[in-house]
Amino acid sequence: MNKDLFLIIWVLLILLTITTALVSGSALSTTQAAILILGLSIVKFLCVSFYFMELKNAHVFWKASILFYVLLFFIITISL
Amino acid sequence: MKKELVSVKNLYYPPGGILLWIVIFLELFTFGMALVAMVYYSKDEPEVFHNSRLLLNTTFGAVNTVFLLTSGFFMAKSVESFKENNIKKTANFLRWTLLGGLLFLVLKSVEYYFKIENGFTMNFNTFFSFYWMLTLFHVIHVIVGLVILISVYFGIKKPIVTTSIEDFEASAAFWHMCDLIWLLLFPVIYLIF
Repeated sequence: MNKDLFLIIWVLLILLTITTALVSGSALSTTQAAILILGLSIVKFLCVSFYFMELKNAHVFWKASILFYVLLFFIITISL
Repeated sequence: MKKELVSVKNLYYPPGGILLWIVIFLELFTFGMALVAMVYYSKDEPEVFHNSRLLLNTTFGAVNTVFLLTSGFFMAKSVESFKENNIKKTANFLRWTLLGGLLFLVLKSVEYYFKIENGFTMNFNTFFSFYWMLTLFHVIHVIVGLVILISVYFGIKKPIVTTSIEDFEASAAFWHMCDLIWLLLFPVIYLIF
């Protein structure tokens, strides 16, 4: 594995965290902000599971399961 | 160190082991359903949820996210070093992982102290009932994770290391699960209402 990959993912995660916090205080409408915040959080969720937890090397069943879970969570939360 | 030769491509051996992944999915569904319930209840009292959300300190939440993500980064580095049989580096990364978890708990305690002092307890309103239930349940997981990691740390510090890669990966997967749960809690509780 690329030695710097974890570091790159960590920097990305920190940048996304700062972005979500900034979006929360932006002038966007509540719905737009919620979609953007949850969308960015799901990217972070997938980065941690696929890279830090090394799910990208796992069987396709586990990758599909985590993707299904997080998309289901996003769709239900946004549609409420 | 005991080396395992099972491929993680195998359906029954995801990184950390199948049993732990069943636990991870159960936890994710439990927290996920509670968060969906929180969003559902917010539709009945949108102003209460919005005003209560503003009473939370977003900076504390964001800094705690950074603590957990940084801790997760060191955990991943620790697993990598363990696979390379570099025990010194593994122990060093594990210490940083533990520090991240401890800092999270310290900041969470400060946040809880201010909430209690201002009277924003579990009975204050529906938002704070969800806030306390979800964040306290998560804190319990972080404490359990820290206990597991401390046990692993002392295991690898022994003159003859008997910890297997699978055990180490399972501990790491539990710790990362705390990250995953927090990555769902933080946006919903602190940001979207």
